[in-house]
Amino acid sequence: MTLVDREISIQSEETEVVISVKDVSKKFCRDLRRSLLYGVRDIATELMGGKRKETLRSQEFWALRDVNFELRRGQALGLVGANGAGKSTLLRIISGLIKPDIGTVKIKGRVAPLIALGAGFNPLLTGRENIYANMSILGLSTQEIEARFQEVIDFAEIWDAIDAPVQNYSSGMAARLGFACAIHTEPEILLIDEVLAVGDIKFKAKCYRKLHQLRQQGTSFVLVNHNPQAILSVCDSAIYLVKGELIASGNTDAVIEKYEEDLFLDSKKITSQVMYLSEKSASESFGLDITHLCFRNIEGEIIQSLKSGEFASFCVGCKAHHKCDNVTLHVKIKEIGGEGGTGAVLFLSGENDDRFFEILPGKHEIRLQMPYLGLAPGTYTTIVKLKQNSIYTFDVFESFRFTVGSDGKMSQCKFYQPRTWQIVGGDRVE
Amino acid sequence: MRLLKQMGRDLLASRELAWRLMVRDISAQYRQSFLGVIWAFLPPIVMAAGFTLASDAGAIAVGATDLPYPAYVMFSTALWQTFVEALNGPVQAVTTAKPMLAKVNFPREAIILAKLGEVFFNFAIKLILIVGLFIWFRVAVSWTVILAPVALIHLILFGTFVGVLLAPLGILYQDVSKGLTMITGFWLFLTPVVFPVPSEGTFGFLVRLNPVTPLLVTTRELATTGVMSDPAGFWIASIVTIVGLLLTWVVFRLAMPFVIERVSS
Repeated sequence: MTLVDREISIQSEETEVVISVKDVSKKFCRDLRRSLLYGVRDIATELMGGKRKETLRSQEFWALRDVNFELRRGQALGLVGANGAGKSTLLRIISGLIKPDIGTVKIKGRVAPLIALGAGFNPLLTGRENIYANMSILGLSTQEIEARFQEVIDFAEIWDAIDAPVQNYSSGMAARLGFACAIHTEPEILLIDEVLAVGDIKFKAKCYRKLHQLRQQGTSFVLVNHNPQAILSVCDSAIYLVKGELIASGNTDAVIEKYEEDLFLDSKKITSQVMYLSEKSASESFGLDITHLCFRNIEGEIIQSLKSGEFASFCVGCKAHHKCDNVTLHVKIKEIGGEGGTGAVLFLSGENDDRFFEILPGKHEIRLQMPYLGLAPGTYTTIVKLKQNSIYTFDVFESFRFTVGSDGKMSQCKFYQPRTWQIVGGDRVE
Repeated sequence: MRLLKQMGRDLLASRELAWRLMVRDISAQYRQSFLGVIWAFLPPIVMAAGFTLASDAGAIAVGATDLPYPAYVMFSTALWQTFVEALNGPVQAVTTAKPMLAKVNFPREAIILAKLGEVFFNFAIKLILIVGLFIWFRVAVSWTVILAPVALIHLILFGTFVGVLLAPLGILYQDVSKGLTMITGFWLFLTPVVFPVPSEGTFGFLVRLNPVTPLLVTTRELATTGVMSDPAGFWIASIVTIVGLLLTWVVFRLAMPFVIERVSS
């Protein structure tokens, strides 16, 4: 929380605050029937002028708890958190749709929620009629709509279809029209809830250009997105919600980093990344045993947390009971809970690389050096095998788990590409 | 006081939106209908035909009416229908606008106003039927007909008053719209639509207790005979309507955010 305090003091005092959220809490009920009943009771309490209780009733939970933040004119705020963390609830409170149970929200200026694209579209009516209806729902007068009408059509690119009923539009066309209507209300504050996935790539680019232009003109943004990269590139500050509570807020990089860490660690933190295995007796052994597994850095020290793109060497400690030759190491890495299915992310074998070792009796460590760890942030499980040639297996360890952390730069991709950037000028370009 | 000011401001602000919504709803409604405007005429005609047949055959005994019976039924049904539309309007409006309500924060009065406009529009169409009816049956029209709209507005406002009161609950529970359909069916029998105002018995008492009775009867009388049979009843019902409507408006405004949070988007 120290982060928050610092951030606020850094912000300039000149620009006015457009959104101020103070100690906002909101409770929701899991059971629909009960929820409706509570709704009726709340209305009754409100009508009687009574105060709302700050305690939870049966089956209720806090969808938001003591959330505080401010947004100044022209700034952009990112909202991150897992599904159900309360992001959309917060947006709905900001847009004034629902009232917080505790706390206050103050808004200055017109809020355009890009949550509600095409609200009030009637499929039977033509595009033209729907533009009028939709934009007046969003709070524009008829003259204002008329002044912007052509712009909207141009933006949505539906010149031919403007007099056709909206039910005949393709879903992309309807979405484009909805977006065009919302964006042309020229709001002071834009609430964007992961809706920019409309239309084709070209239209998406156009949307982003328009948003950029609005941002230049001093529109404030609140952006909800599961894609931290988008937030990183747009927002000055971010807040991170977990189960309705504000976990971190302030500088975007720091918040996103925290979010990604939590996302990949999945609450079970693996602190020590070394695995020691119990020693086997000579009778149990097949001649060569795995004694420990870990990662080491370039200095040979054990690494507690791996990072994509950094040096790491995978170390397999082994104890030989007698002299073994033609020993190879096989490492098969699978992602846990990843989208990639059950297949291995990485399979490295000494056999393929033609690396065979001769191991004398005693303790050794086989090191598999990776100058740049190519794995994306995530949790992995590894199968380690010590083999002789390709047939005889000395020892196997089935599930060495480790986690690759994030540095905030790896969010949209599956592997780390070692790289350098340069620009080549003038005469050297053909 | 601040609340009243805010209410007034929102009402003004929602004028244009209400107009838009009304135009949208009406044009959508007629675009998807083959018979279109005829639907405004058919129910009163069918109702009148049915009751005239039944009355002529002696199946039901209807007392003397001050208009020719088919004209009486048709005119009253048109008024009754308008009342029912005004009554169902708010509940219907908020139910169909649910997704919109859950997503955009606009003056909620607009959808009620739009529905109210639609009721007036539909009545305007029915007016064609009524005028035709009066010419056909040579109904004598008194000068008081110019006052009839006042009574009609009170009738419509009474429907709106009850409707708006039920609207927030109607979003939460489907029981409201279902119950409303049933109750209006029963309510019709307590209202002098197909029979003249009864003077005696428990039934007569119930009919006179029904606030719709003085409003509807006065509208009919002002348009035709020009003699108000129950001015006191009319004014009591009117005052209840106006005061009630203002109060329910406040209730509606306070209740809507709670309702919307329960329906979610």
